[in-house]
Amino acid sequence: MVRLKDRYLLVNIIYTSPPPHSSSSPSPVSDLLLYNQPTTSDLRPQTILKDIRAEVSSLFGDCGSGAIDRSLQVKYLSPATSTFILRVSRAHFRLVWAALTFMHALRGRPCIFRVVRISGTMRKVEQEAIRRARLLVLAAKDELKGKSSSDALGVLLRSDSQQQRTLAIVGGQGDDDEEGLAED
Amino acid sequence: MMKRKDPPGGAKDAQGRPPNTRNNKRVKVQDARNIRTQPSDAALEDGKLDLNKFLSAREFEIRALEKSMAKCKAVNATRVFQMVPRVMRRRTASHNAKRVPKRLQVQARKEMLEDNTPTVESRKRKPRTTRARIRAETMKKLRYLADKKKKKTKKADDGTVEESQPKGKGVITTRAPRPKIRRNMLNEPPKADSKFRKRQIHKTWLPTHLWHAKRATMTTPNSPLWRFAIPLTSTAKSYRPTHRASGQKGAVAWDVSYMSTIGVYGTSDGIERVLRSLGLVQEGLWNARGKKWRAGVRKWTGILSSQHKNGRRDIGPATVVWNPEPPEPSSDEVETSSSRPKKSQRQILVRTHPSCFLELFEELVKLAKGQKPQLYVEDLRFEIGSIELIGPGSTEALLGILEPFHETPETAECHASVFRSLAGVTNPASLPKDAILAFSAKDPRLAYPPKRTQIPDGGEQTLLKTLIEWPVEENLKPYSIFDRESRYQASRIPSQKSVNRRKGANAPGEPIKVTAADPPIPILLLASRPATDGQAQGTWTMLAPWKCIQAIWYCLMHYPLTTGGNPRLGGLEEQRQIAFEHGTPWFPGDFPATNAGMNWELEQRAKRRSDWDRRPKSKRLEWKSLDLGAGRKGEIGDGLACDFEHLLGLPKSEAPRTQERSDAVPIPDPAAEAMVLDPPPERVESGGTQGPSQSPLSSIETISLVTKSAFNALVKSADAEQPPAGSIVTVNMEFITRGVAKPCARIYRLPSKPKVNVVSSTDAEVPATPEISSSGLPTDLREQWLAKVPSQASGNNNTSRKGRSGAPRMPAGVDMETRKKTLAQSLLTTELPYPRPAANQVDIGGHPLCPNEDDLIGFVTTGAFSLSEGRATAIGSISAGRALETLRDTGVREGKFCIVRNAGESVGWLARWELV
Repeated sequence: MVRLKDRYLLVNIIYTSPPPHSSSSPSPVSDLLLYNQPTTSDLRPQTILKDIRAEVSSLFGDCGSGAIDRSLQVKYLSPATSTFILRVSRAHFRLVWAALTFMHALRGRPCIFRVVRISGTMRKVEQEAIRRARLLVLAAKDELKGKSSSDALGVLLRSDSQQQRTLAIVGGQGDDDEEGLAED
Repeated sequence: MMKRKDPPGGAKDAQGRPPNTRNNKRVKVQDARNIRTQPSDAALEDGKLDLNKFLSAREFEIRALEKSMAKCKAVNATRVFQMVPRVMRRRTASHNAKRVPKRLQVQARKEMLEDNTPTVESRKRKPRTTRARIRAETMKKLRYLADKKKKKTKKADDGTVEESQPKGKGVITTRAPRPKIRRNMLNEPPKADSKFRKRQIHKTWLPTHLWHAKRATMTTPNSPLWRFAIPLTSTAKSYRPTHRASGQKGAVAWDVSYMSTIGVYGTSDGIERVLRSLGLVQEGLWNARGKKWRAGVRKWTGILSSQHKNGRRDIGPATVVWNPEPPEPSSDEVETSSSRPKKSQRQILVRTHPSCFLELFEELVKLAKGQKPQLYVEDLRFEIGSIELIGPGSTEALLGILEPFHETPETAECHASVFRSLAGVTNPASLPKDAILAFSAKDPRLAYPPKRTQIPDGGEQTLLKTLIEWPVEENLKPYSIFDRESRYQASRIPSQKSVNRRKGANAPGEPIKVTAADPPIPILLLASRPATDGQAQGTWTMLAPWKCIQAIWYCLMHYPLTTGGNPRLGGLEEQRQIAFEHGTPWFPGDFPATNAGMNWELEQRAKRRSDWDRRPKSKRLEWKSLDLGAGRKGEIGDGLACDFEHLLGLPKSEAPRTQERSDAVPIPDPAAEAMVLDPPPERVESGGTQGPSQSPLSSIETISLVTKSAFNALVKSADAEQPPAGSIVTVNMEFITRGVAKPCARIYRLPSKPKVNVVSSTDAEVPATPEISSSGLPTDLREQWLAKVPSQASGNNNTSRKGRSGAPRMPAGVDMETRKKTLAQSLLTTELPYPRPAANQVDIGGHPLCPNEDDLIGFVTTGAFSLSEGRATAIGSISAGRALETLRDTGVREGKFCIVRNAGESVGWLARWELV
C-alpha cells in the first residue's frame, strides 16, 4: 500500500516592530509582548500559501514550486497568537523551510518566520504548540506580578534551551528524528 | 440498482441528498480536525498590545489545541473488531458483528450499518453451482416428505391412541449394546456421526477434531498421518510462545488420542515372558526393584524390540502399566496364597505410537498365542484416549478440571486424595519417577467454567510430605480404566445439551450436583520425567475413555492459569520442538533404526523430492554441481535424504515409486484396512542373478541401533570389539562456534592425522605453502579445524591463518605517512604462495574445507536453533562403527568433535556430539 508521508511544520511569525496602530502613542511595551504580537486579522491561509509558493519558486524555480504544489496546506492558523501549522510532503519540506527562512515580510509588514518544530504527526506538533504557549503564559504571569524580565529574547528562546529540551524528552515528547529547531 | 456505497433506505434529507451515513462520518471527522482560532483583535486592547489579552489569547490557544487532540482521538478510524484481543481475532469475516464478542456486538452492528458492509446469510444464499442447486432441491423435496410423514403419524396417533398403548407393554428393554472388542484382532474405529462419516473413510478423527480443525493446521485430507487427522501446529504464531509455556510460564496441552493402547491379559508369568521377549530384560524390572512397577504404582517407558533372524530390532517406544491385583479376600486363604502369584490373572496396558502400533500388535499377538496358558491381546485404540500436558501450569490445570468422583471419606480413593494434595507442584518431574495416579473423576463439565485451584494453608508442608511418602500403595484396587464396563459407563456421559439444561436450572455460579446419570470417569495419570535433563519440565499424560476426552479437553482449554492465560494447544510440530529443546530424539523422526522411523524418513524424502521437483530448474539446487572445495564436485549421496544406505553401503532405495505401486494394490485383509500404519512398501522380488535382492525397506531394515549403554561399554572394552555392521547411534550435537544444521545435514568426523609427517628443510623457508596431500586436501586440515575450538585462554586463534590468506589490513587511525608505507608494502610484497591457489582449493574464503567422504559418519535428522540452549543444536544418527573407531584413535575429547555441513552447502561448522 502506498502511504502518503507528510511533515508538519509549526511556525511562529515574529514581528520586531510594534503594531502600526499603536505607533501613535509610543508607550513602552515589554519585549515579551513585542516579540509575540498577533498578526493582522485579515490574514488568510491562502495569503500565506501564496507567499510561500512565490518564495519557493523564486528560490528553487519551477521544479521546487512544482514539488511542493500538491501537498502544501495550512492546517491551523491562529492570528491572535501568530502561529500556524503547515503540512508538506516529507520529501520536500526543506524547500518550504528554506523559503520561510528567506521571507521577511507579511502583507508589507516586516517579520520573520520561525520554524519551531517539525514532526511526522499533527499530534506532536500540537503538543509542542501547547508546551510553548504554556511557557509564554508562565512568563506573562511573572511579568504581571512585576518581575519584569529584561531578557525578552531569552523568554522567546527559553523554550528551546537545553534544559527544557531534555525535560521535554523525558516527558515523552520530542522523539521525532526529523525534528528541527530554526534559530533564525 | 442500488450501489454498494449507497446505504439502504431511500429517504432524503432537507437538501434532497440521501442521508449518507458515510458523509455524516466525513463531516464529523472534518469537524473534529478543525481547530478553533481567535482573530488577532482578541490579543489586542483597542489596537494596543496588552498583557492580559495576551494571556487570554494563549490560554484560548492551549484549550483549543487540547480539545482538538481529544476530539481527533475520539473519531479515529478504529473499528470495534480491532479492540478484540489478538488471540481472539479472526481473519475471515472479522468485520461481521455476529463474530465479535457479545459486549461489542451492538457497536459493531452500528459500524456495519455506517459502513454499509454487505452481509450474506449463508443459509439464504442462492446456490451457485449445479451441485449446490441439486442439493438444495433435494433438501426441499426431503423437507416436504418429512412434513407429509409427520402429518400422517400425527393423524394416526389421534385415531389409535388406545391401540398403541398395549403395544408398548410387550416391549422388552435390554441393555444398550456395548462396542465390541475382539480378542487378538484389530478394533474398528468408532462409527462416526453420519454427517461426518464421508470425511473419515480413510482416517479417524480425534475426539476433539472439530475444535482443533478451527484452531490448528491439520494434516491434509488426502494424506492423513498414521490414519488419523492430526493437528500439526497451531494457526497462531506459536514457536516462541510454546517454548515459554513449556518451560517458564503456562502450559501446553496436546490431544494425543492417536496414541495406541493395547491391553494384554493373562497370567503374570505369561505376561512376564511376553515382556521379556519384547526387550524388557533388565533384571531390575523383575526382581525386588521392579516390585512397584509390577504392583501397578509405577510405569515403565522404553524402547521395545523384537527378535528377528539376524538379531533384535527396535519397534518403538512404549509405556507399560500393570493393573494392580485385587486385594486378597481374607486371611484364611493363607495356605493358598503361596500358589496364588502364579495363577493370578493380570492385565497390562501397552501404550505406543501409532506408527509402530501394527508391528507391536502383531508381535504381541504372536507372543501371546505362543504362551501356555494362552494370553490374549485387546486393541484398545479407540477405547482409551489421552491428553498430554507440559509446563509449570500443567499440574494446576489438571487439578482445576479433575475432581474426584467420590468425596466422602469412606468411599474416597487413595490416589484421588494424593492427586488433590498436589496443589502447588510446578513440575511433574518433581514427583517420584514414573509415578501413576488412577482414580475416578467427575464430569468436568459439571463445574464449568473451571475455577483457579487454590493452594490451601500449609499446603507446602503437606505437599512435601506427600512427595516424600507417596502413599499410593495402601488399599490398592484394580484401576477402573482397565475395566471395560466402567469405561463403557463413562463413555455414556450426558450430552452437552442436557448438561446445559441442568445448568440453566441451577443457580448461577454453582456447580451442578452429581446425579445417577453422571458416571465416574476413570482416569489414569502418568507423570514422566524428561529423558535427558534433570532441570527440564516433566510431562503429564492423562488416559481416559475415548468418549470423555472431548469434554475434558474443552474444560482444560478454558482453565484460567494462575500465571494468566489458558493452556496452549499444541500440535505435532510443538511436540517435536519440545523434544528437540530437551535434546531428546523424537519418535519416529529421529529413530531411523526402526521400521516406523525409516517409513517416516522415506515419506520425508518423497516430500522433499516433490518439493524439489516442483521448483523451476533455475531455482533449485543442482546437486551435481555443488562445489565442496579442493576439486570435489557434487553432493555426497542423495541431497534430499538422510542417506543411510549410502553411508552404510546398503542397496539404493526407490522408495516413492514402490509406495505408489503398493497403493494401487488392494489390501486383501480387511483387518489391514483398519491399520494405523501407512501401507508398507511392497516387497519386490526382482529377478537378479545374485539371489533375491532386497526391497528398499528390507535393505534399510538391517540398520540397527546401538544404545547408549551398549556403546559406552564398547568404548570401554579393551579388545577391539566391533559393533554389528550397519549399526547407528543417536547423538545430540551442539555447535561450538556458529552454524545451524537443517535436517539431512551431513556429519563428518575430523580428518585423521597424516600418517607420515615428512618435514623437509625447505618448509622452514616457505612456511605458508599449504601442503596438499594425495587426496587433494591440505595436510593440516585437522589442525585448521581444531584451531576453530575457542580455548579458554584466548579468544582469537585463527589470526595466523587470516594473516596468511589475506593482505595485511590497514591499521585504524594512522597518519598518512604510515598509510603510504603500508600500501607500498602491500603492493610490493608477493603473496605466498604465488600464484595463488584457485578459489576453494585450500580453503573456502578462509574457512577450512570439509573432510572427504570417507570421514562421513552420519546425518542430522532434526536441527534448528534451540531456544533453550541459545545456540544451534541438532539430533542425528551416526555410524556406530566409525564413531567407535574415531573415539579409539583420538580419545574422547577430540573424537567427539564433528563437522556438520548442510546438504547443498559447501561450508561445514564445527560441533561436538554426545550420545543420547
